[in-house]
Amino acid sequence: MKIALLVAGLALLQAGGATLDDPDEERRAQMLMREIRCVACENEPVSQSASDIAGDMRAQIRDMVAEGKSDREIRAWFVDRYGEFVLFRPKADNPWGWTLWTLPFVVLGVAGAGIVMSRNTRSLREDTVVAVPPDHEDDNRL
Amino acid sequence: MIEIGHFLAFLTLTLSVLVAFVGLRGNRALAGQLSIAAFVLMTLSFLTIVQAFVRSDFSVELVANNSHTMKPMLYKFAGTWGNHEGSMALWCLVMAGFGAAGAYWLRSDRPVFEARVLGVQGLLGVGALAYLLFASSPFTRLDTAPLQGSDLNPLLQDPALAAHPPMLYLGYVGYSFVFALAAAALIEGRVDRQWAKIVRPWALAAFVPLTFGIALGSYWAYYELGWGGWWFWDPVENASLMPWLIGAAFMHSVTVTEKRGSLRSWTVLLAVAAFCFSILGAFLVRSGLLTSVHAFAVDPLRGSLLLTGLLIYGSFALGLFAWRAPTLKGGLDHYLASREGALIGNNLALGVATLTVLLGTLFPLIAEAFGQVMSVGEPYFNLTFTPIMALALIALPVVQAWSWGRADWASLWKWGAGFVGVVAFFWLIGFGVFDIPLLAGVGFAIGVWLIYGAGFEIWRRAKTAQRLFKLPVRVWGMTVSHIGLGVFVLGAVGETSLRSHTTLALEQGQSAELANWTFTLDRVDPIEGPNWYADRASLIVERGNEQIRLEPEKRIYPAARMPTTETAIHSTGAADLYVALGDKRIVDGTPRWTFEVFVKPLVDFIYFGSLLVGLGAAMAMVGRRKKVSE
Repeated sequence: MKIALLVAGLALLQAGGATLDDPDEERRAQMLMREIRCVACENEPVSQSASDIAGDMRAQIRDMVAEGKSDREIRAWFVDRYGEFVLFRPKADNPWGWTLWTLPFVVLGVAGAGIVMSRNTRSLREDTVVAVPPDHEDDNRL
Repeated sequence: MIEIGHFLAFLTLTLSVLVAFVGLRGNRALAGQLSIAAFVLMTLSFLTIVQAFVRSDFSVELVANNSHTMKPMLYKFAGTWGNHEGSMALWCLVMAGFGAAGAYWLRSDRPVFEARVLGVQGLLGVGALAYLLFASSPFTRLDTAPLQGSDLNPLLQDPALAAHPPMLYLGYVGYSFVFALAAAALIEGRVDRQWAKIVRPWALAAFVPLTFGIALGSYWAYYELGWGGWWFWDPVENASLMPWLIGAAFMHSVTVTEKRGSLRSWTVLLAVAAFCFSILGAFLVRSGLLTSVHAFAVDPLRGSLLLTGLLIYGSFALGLFAWRAPTLKGGLDHYLASREGALIGNNLALGVATLTVLLGTLFPLIAEAFGQVMSVGEPYFNLTFTPIMALALIALPVVQAWSWGRADWASLWKWGAGFVGVVAFFWLIGFGVFDIPLLAGVGFAIGVWLIYGAGFEIWRRAKTAQRLFKLPVRVWGMTVSHIGLGVFVLGAVGETSLRSHTTLALEQGQSAELANWTFTLDRVDPIEGPNWYADRASLIVERGNEQIRLEPEKRIYPAARMPTTETAIHSTGAADLYVALGDKRIVDGTPRWTFEVFVKPLVDFIYFGSLLVGLGAAMAMVGRRKKVSE
C-alpha cells in the first residue's frame, strides 16, 4: 500500500512538471490554478506556491482538464476534498455568497441613484447657475 | 546608546503631550517650536536604533532577532525598519516629521487654526509613541548578548524592499496630517475654500510617496517571489490600496471644495477616512487576524491596541464631524451634468471600489465568525473591483472637459461613439496575429482612450502649442497622472491577457520553446555571496538573431535557514523574459533543473504608468500663482 502511494506520488510529481500539449487546455488549467487555493500555504493560489502539495494540486488540475472534466466538475472535486475554503472564487449559491458578490453593485446603484435624485429634486433656476469652463476657473467668481 | 534613544523617545512623548495641550489651546508659536523640538528628539532617538543595527549590537533584543554580522551594510541599515518595532519607530519619526513640516510651512492668516492642527498632530503622536514605548519597544536590552543575530528575513534583503517601508510610511502617516487639518477645521467649524487650498498640497505629499511605495512593493513581489505576479489581492496589499483609493478620491473632491466651495462635508469626511484606513491597514497587517504571505510580524495584543487606537481616533473625528456637519454647507450650485457632477462620480467609483476591497478583505473573517468558511481572492476582485473602475475610466476623458456648474450631455454621444470605435479596432486586430479576446480588447481600448483623452483635454485647453507650456503646472500634473493611468491599464491588460507561462525541466544542453523564444540551459554553477550561497543557472535565450543570457539563482541564507529565488528578467521593451530557478532532481542519473519561465508582454508599462501617476501628483502639488480670495 505504502509503495503504491509512493509510486502514485512520484507519478504525480512527474506530471506536475509537464504542461498540457493543447494550448487551450493548458490555458484553462492555468486559469483554474489561479482560482484554487493551496491548502498548506498562507493565502496563495496553487499557481503561485512552491510547496509540494501545490505542485500535486496543479498536476491534479491538469489531469482532470486532460480527462475532459468541466471547470465546474473540477471545482466540485476540490470542494469535496477540502471544503469551500479551497475556492478563491466563492460560490454565490448561499446568502453569504450572494451578499459578497452583489453588495458592491448594490451600493454603487443605490448611492448613484441617491446622487441623481438629490440633483433632480432641487429646483435650480436656469439663470442662477453659470457654466464656468475649467480653463477659466481662476477667475474667482466667489 | 540605546538607553539614550529610549530616554529621548520618552522626551518626545512628553513634548507631544505638550504640543497637543498648547496647540489645542491655540498658541501657534509655542506649538510650532515644540513640534520642531519633538521631531529633532525623535530623529536622534531613531538614529540610536539605526546605530545599534549598523554596529550589530546584539545586546539589543531587536538587533539580535533581526540582524547578522555577515549581512551587507545596506541591509543592516535598512533592517532597522524591516521588523515590527523598528517600523513603528519609523512611523513615529514620520509623524513627528509631518508635525515639524507643518510648523514650518503652514503660513496662513489663521494662526489659531494652525496651532490646533499641530495640536491634533501632537495628539496622534502621543498615541503612536505610547504604542511604541509600551507595546512594541525597540529599546529592550538582553541580559546576555548572543554572539550572532538570527538575521533578517532574506526575502526582505533587497534594495526595493529597503526603500519600500519608508515610502509607504510617508504615505500612510502623511495622511495623519491631513486628518489633523480636517479635525482642526471641524473644531473651528470652518471648512471652506481656503481650508481646501491649504490641505491640498499636504494630501498630495502623502499620495505621491504612497503611490511609489505601493509600486515598489509590487515590483519587489514581481521579481522576488518568482511567480511572475505583480498584484496578488493579498490582505496586506489591499491594506495599502485602500488609503490610496481614498486619497485619490480626496484629491478630486478637494478640488471641488477649493474651486467652488461646495462638497465640504464629503471632502472633510474623506480627509478623516484616509488616515483611518491607514491605521486599519496597520491593524490588519500586525494583528494576525488575516493570513497573508507578507505578514512578517504578528501579535494579537498589538492588534487589539491598534484597533483601540483606530476606534478612539475614528470616533473622535466622527464625533467632531457629526457636531459640525450641519454647518458645512455652502458653495456654488450645480447641475448633475457638470464638472462637480463628474468629480462626484469619480468619488462614487473610488468609494465603492474601496468598499469592495474592504469587503473582499474582511468578509471571509466575518463569515468565519458565523461558521461559514470561505476564501476571497483574485477572481472576486477581477469581477467586482475591475469593472467598477473600468466604468470610471471610460467616463474620464468625456467628463473631464465638462464645465463647472453645468455642462452639455450631448458630448457624451460623440465620445461614446469614439470609445466603441477604439474597442472595435482592438477587437478586429485581435482576429489577426495577436489573438486578443474581446475583454482584453476593451481593456486595451480603455488604456488608449485614457492617454488620448488626457492629451486631447490639455490640447483643448491650450488651443495653441505656444500656450501649452504656459498652462499651470497643476494642469500638466493632472495630464501626466491620467496618461500614467492609461499606460498602467495597457500594462495590466497586456500582462494579464497575453502572458505565456510554462514549467520546464532541463538537463544541461537541453532546450525548450515558449512564445517563439528558445531557452537553452548552458550550465549551473554554485556561487557564494556575503551571507548566502546559491546555484546559478545560465540560460541562453534566442529568437532569430537576438541572443540573451539569463542567470536566475536559487539562494540559501544559512543564518535564517531560508531559500529565496532570484529571478532573471530581461526586458525587450515590448515584453519581459522572466525565468525563476526551481528544484534540482536527478532523473536516470543526470541532474535536471526545473524552471518557471514566463514571457510577459507590456509588464514594464505597469511600473512606468505608476511612476507617471506619482510624478503627475507631485507636479500637481506646485501651487498656483494667484491667490484664492474668499
